[in-house]
Amino acid sequence: YRVLDLSDERGLLAGHMFAQLGADVIQIEPLAGSSARAVGPFADDAPAGDNSFFWSTYAAGKRDLACDLTSEAGRQLLKRLIQSADFLIESADAQQRIDWDITPAATAALNPALIHVSITAFGSAGPKADYAASDLTIWAAGGPLLPSRDSTRSPLRISAPQSWLNAAADAAGGALIAHFARVQNGRGQHVDVSAQQAAALCTMSASLAVPVGHPDYSIPGLAAEKKKSKDGKKDLDLSGSGSRTRRSKWQVKDGMVEMHIGIGPAGGRFTNNLFQWLASENACDADIANWDFITVPQRILANEITEADMERARNNVASFFARFTKNELLEQAMTRRFLCAPIATTQDLLDSKQLNAREFFTTVTEASGATRTLPGNFAAVVIKDGATNGASRGFVALTPAPTLGQHTDGILRDWLALNDSDIDQLRTQGAIA
Amino acid sequence: MTNNDAPKDTPEKVSPLQNLRVLDLAWVVAGPVIGRALADFGATVLRVESSKRIETARMMGPFPEGKLDPQKSALFENCNAGKWGLTLDLSREEGRAVIRDLVRDWADVVIESFSPGQMRDWNLGYDHLRELKPDLIMLSTSLMGQSGPWSSFAGFGNVGAAISGFQAIVGWPDLPPTGPYGPYTDFVGPRFGLVSLLAAVDHRRRTGEGCWLDVAQAEAGIQFQAPYVARCAVTGEIVAPNGNRDAQMAPHGVFACEAVAPNDEGWVAIAVRSDREWQRFAHLIGGAALANDTRFATLDNRKNNEDALDALVQAWTENQTPLAVEKALQAIGVPAHNVASSADMVADPQLQARQHFIALPHVLMGKTHIENARYQLSKTPAAPPRPAPHFHRDDEFVLKHFAGYDAAKIAELTAAGILN
Repeated sequence: YRVLDLSDERGLLAGHMFAQLGADVIQIEPLAGSSARAVGPFADDAPAGDNSFFWSTYAAGKRDLACDLTSEAGRQLLKRLIQSADFLIESADAQQRIDWDITPAATAALNPALIHVSITAFGSAGPKADYAASDLTIWAAGGPLLPSRDSTRSPLRISAPQSWLNAAADAAGGALIAHFARVQNGRGQHVDVSAQQAAALCTMSASLAVPVGHPDYSIPGLAAEKKKSKDGKKDLDLSGSGSRTRRSKWQVKDGMVEMHIGIGPAGGRFTNNLFQWLASENACDADIANWDFITVPQRILANEITEADMERARNNVASFFARFTKNELLEQAMTRRFLCAPIATTQDLLDSKQLNAREFFTTVTEASGATRTLPGNFAAVVIKDGATNGASRGFVALTPAPTLGQHTDGILRDWLALNDSDIDQLRTQGAIA
Repeated sequence: MTNNDAPKDTPEKVSPLQNLRVLDLAWVVAGPVIGRALADFGATVLRVESSKRIETARMMGPFPEGKLDPQKSALFENCNAGKWGLTLDLSREEGRAVIRDLVRDWADVVIESFSPGQMRDWNLGYDHLRELKPDLIMLSTSLMGQSGPWSSFAGFGNVGAAISGFQAIVGWPDLPPTGPYGPYTDFVGPRFGLVSLLAAVDHRRRTGEGCWLDVAQAEAGIQFQAPYVARCAVTGEIVAPNGNRDAQMAPHGVFACEAVAPNDEGWVAIAVRSDREWQRFAHLIGGAALANDTRFATLDNRKNNEDALDALVQAWTENQTPLAVEKALQAIGVPAHNVASSADMVADPQLQARQHFIALPHVLMGKTHIENARYQLSKTPAAPPRPAPHFHRDDEFVLKHFAGYDAAKIAELTAAGILN
């Protein structure tokens, strides 16, 4: 399949996913280079323009064509490329779409079978379609920001921006769904992705609290504590995955682990397994060793177990865990079946026994000579008999992120069957560099 | 199978996935969200679950009136709208035999999210099912993947968020990290799962070949930190939680505003992306004096004086409502948005225009509420045809029409207690 990718940092991932699946993905950049090349973090081992780790990651697998869409000749060239594309992906503002002549109506007129994907903050139409937006403001608008906190300080975003990535991954899904309609009737259509709505999936459906009428809904945290002080009611988290507080972080020998002391039907049985281990090592108070954490919520409500008792249990865990490393606790969690995981740092991900056994990372060498370690396939595939490990049919090996205009001539030959003199002419016209 | 697809008269009216039959054995969020997307766009998705061992999502809210009821969870409704239901006890061999019949005679695709190895132990693994249906596509989603030394590592998504690096990168520089809201990799995994599944369906369309897809939620999560992993491999630098600050934007943060009902609090997110935006922003909040203040003239200077900068912004926002700040900054083209609660999202004119919240009639609740697809397809819009199944709602219909069982066989299963 042929994919024309006009997106910038807001949509770069979608085309990258298509490229991983083996599509011929052409990244179109302005002659001065994509703004995504100016998105950090940056490397010291490559020249400016080719030193963005963001670009290295999400442009990998694509071929690159530099084209001046501010010139008439450039826009004419783009029209011809659109006519031979199966998918068009863009993350343009409304005005850009008009300037480049790529409104959905215009592209559909050029190529009725085209699937045109727009990745925007709020959707391409509607009262906020022209809102200025960034990762943080989308996260605010889509709902996951507000509940992400556990102190009197402000809500917190993830320190590696996520909003546009969620939207771009959804864009690839929406494009493929549209593809199946095209398989039936030969017609393309417009796929209009809203990053705000993509973010809403990250609220664990807390976004639905008001529509369904759940008063004061929150997964426990600051808001719940405030509420408690107001009405004196006890607030119990029975989810088993109430992960948001520092209460679920435990300092161990070489870092931290994540473990929520689950109570009630969902999480209690795992906590029972944990305290069996503590009891066998004489590491918890005698009365606590006899608790059944599945029934602890009822006992809290009956005032048989107090907050001070719960705090004793937490302290037992804290002093016991301090004797172990992250990986030791992980091994114990797997053997004894309780829900505890290392809080992995970026380095831990690279060193992970699991990820390395699955050959998850792949290393490519870019034109600058710099090597880049990138996540590989987003699914492992088994087609017939054989090992699952490393099997990757259906995916293709990643090629390094392209330099500006690296494949311009080859693309024009492959896609449009242009010859050298056609290409020279485009160059003279200033359409390409 | 045409049970839910009325004949379509014009080619425009096709339902993209109308011929796809999906057996959905997944639970909680990461797996079911994939089937929800397929059902939205016309696939026939049959969700199988036990009413004895109740799945976690049914125990999690929000709930109508805040009352826990496994038949009324909004999380469950949201992840499973559009699907058919079959209440089945998979811990019994007779129950597993029903699955094998459905795979042999009905399903194109199986989605499951049990612990790796569980399906195999039930004689429902890919190698087994493929003998019944050679071109089957099976998608298994798990925290760590089906292979490798940690494949048996189990847990809810919060431990997935830890082991995939997200817990460590949400927080303040002077405090231990807090981690993201909820089981974050559960929200990322299905986006990759859907794409790999649809690619496999297209592969089968062209080649006749099925496959087994192994989607690890932790690996999906790492795709979203990839630039930082790449940096770490070169420099050893890890991501440290940095509040809401950003290396390339300042001011960049969440600022307290006048509290507004019904939230009893108010926050606004602001991101100034360039020096030009700073000039407009500075004129608005502090006039020419601030716009000319050299401490803040360039990004570097603003980053060097960020505490002072944030204090100025905070002083400006704290006596305004979030929506007033949002309006004032959008008027000058600076990204700003109210930090939305559920109530704010319901009132958001953009989400209203996109019909983000959908109400469907529901037998047990009168009405159920779900969220719409994140993408609008101009010619074949999403249309969840029915609310998520409650226990036993479709058992008889499904066994008769999907599995092809006669009344005697259904009665036998019922009597044996398999439909639980």
